[in-house]
Amino acid sequence: MGFLRRVWRLISANGGIYSWLTLIAILALYPLLTPSGAALLTATQLFMLITVSSNWNLIGGMTGYVDFGHAVFFGIGAYLMGILVTVVPDYILFSPQLGFWQALPLAGLGAMVFALLIGVPTLRLKGPYFSIAMLGTFVAMREIIRLLKPFTGGGEGLDLPPVLNRTRDYYFMLIFMGVVVALMWWIRRSEFGHSLLAIREDEVGAEMRGIDTTRHKIIAFMIAAFFTGVAGAFWAFQNTYIDPDVVFIEQRTVEMVMSSMLGGLGTVWGPPLGAFILYMLQDLVWANFYNLHLFILGVLLIFIVLFVPEGIIGTLGDRSSTSLGRLLSRGFNRGERTMEERA
Amino acid sequence: MNTASPYLLEGHKITKRFGGLTAVHQVDLAIRPGEIVGLIGPNGSGKTTLFNCLSRLLPIDEGKVIFKGKDITRRKPFQVARMGMSRTFQVIRVYRKMTVLENMLISRQWRGEGLLQMLRPSHPDTERRAHELLDFLMLGHLKHELAGRLSGGQRRLLEIGMALMPDPDLLLLDEATSGVNPTLIETIKDRIRALNREQGKAFLLVEHNIEFIADMCERVYVLNFGELLAEGDPQSIMNNEAVIEAYFGA
Repeated sequence: MGFLRRVWRLISANGGIYSWLTLIAILALYPLLTPSGAALLTATQLFMLITVSSNWNLIGGMTGYVDFGHAVFFGIGAYLMGILVTVVPDYILFSPQLGFWQALPLAGLGAMVFALLIGVPTLRLKGPYFSIAMLGTFVAMREIIRLLKPFTGGGEGLDLPPVLNRTRDYYFMLIFMGVVVALMWWIRRSEFGHSLLAIREDEVGAEMRGIDTTRHKIIAFMIAAFFTGVAGAFWAFQNTYIDPDVVFIEQRTVEMVMSSMLGGLGTVWGPPLGAFILYMLQDLVWANFYNLHLFILGVLLIFIVLFVPEGIIGTLGDRSSTSLGRLLSRGFNRGERTMEERA
Repeated sequence: MNTASPYLLEGHKITKRFGGLTAVHQVDLAIRPGEIVGLIGPNGSGKTTLFNCLSRLLPIDEGKVIFKGKDITRRKPFQVARMGMSRTFQVIRVYRKMTVLENMLISRQWRGEGLLQMLRPSHPDTERRAHELLDFLMLGHLKHELAGRLSGGQRRLLEIGMALMPDPDLLLLDEATSGVNPTLIETIKDRIRALNREQGKAFLLVEHNIEFIADMCERVYVLNFGELLAEGDPQSIMNNEAVIEAYFGA
């Protein structure tokens, strides 16, 4: 801890901007430093988890509407990508066979439109009723996809054009993650972000203070759905094969929730930090205790809820801060003060 | 639009029922610009329900509410708030996990509903107003403190500050002195008078604290069992036999 603190002091002394530039340079040069496709795939998946967790956090953490079915937007994005670009087998009636870059925004827009349609009725519900309604939407969508075989391939799924380019995937996801995290940072500092927090803390009070709560919730939901849909579309293209059982898995939402909770609900830097720790932990547990990995992750979730309900950012520093550097240095300083007090 | 009306807020024959219970029955009420009006009554007389009907938190079953000459009976609470009617609550509603300053910024003046407008950071004017109001309410030194760490009285003042942020024409204060120590009550009185005198703001005060009402208000409405029992200046209300009987049962 003392070494880490010294390193952090050194970085802080030289200004946050240099730390960011160093981090960006390392991430940008990473594909040149490692020839391993597996390493690039791992990093790409981590970036994706950060991206979808940050989006979940917009509605679940900042707005306070805990969405247990958020992976439905990921699934819709994945399937729209599949339908739009797929090589048409006999049983598929429709596919315009668009390219990746044409299909990608359309997949996001499709997820966003679905968020509008489902958000209008469900966002009137409060607390667990909303969560259950979204879980139901997720399960229902999986079955609808299965039944719409002429478009989705049903249980047999869809084969997408096999285009393997790990370096391109890495850079795409890195930039996409950067855009999403930057947007969340901006939103948190904006009037819109303040309004979302007000809705989370006291929706009636927010309405009485002039906030159009319905409009704010739906916009937040649509933004989160768009970017999650794009992430799903990218995942489908990268995976080259989709079926309902690999796309619509509950664990995807669980990971988003766990990352946000572990890092700090409603904070900008919580989901990226939580996703990083969770991903590394999952890898470690999966590699060493394959048969027990879901059990161990379940125990971890219970541990977070019981002992770190405000997440790492909330426990270390100030939940409202949007500066990562200030948060971490405050966390280290807090540790120092505690030790001094003990002495 | 009724531009000829001398009143800022008018309630006409307001009736509110909860199932078989009529909480407010055919109540008429009016407030002029720049006036401080009190609303009193024994427990369960329907004061807060009437308050909620006027601010559109609760839909009314009969009657209508006119604010600034416009019928707001079917408008949503956020629309009424943006028209210039702010309120506080009997149970204090501040954002406890946010700082005092953030609480103020959330209750800002509205600059538009476009997504790009909403995505802008707080306007410097909004921040300046928040700082000025916090100083005015003697909370300036606490602006970076979490609202949940303030005392009950300080939270009351913060809630009043939040209600003032949009620069309303009318403030509805529900039990503004409840749970507040005598020193802070004097501060609240002083601030209300200053806002009324210097900025011409109108107030509707719901109170149990009769002394506070007598000291502050030009006119007082008295409710009992959901009906209007009396209306007049504080002195005549204090001497009104029906009011004394409603309060003391004698």
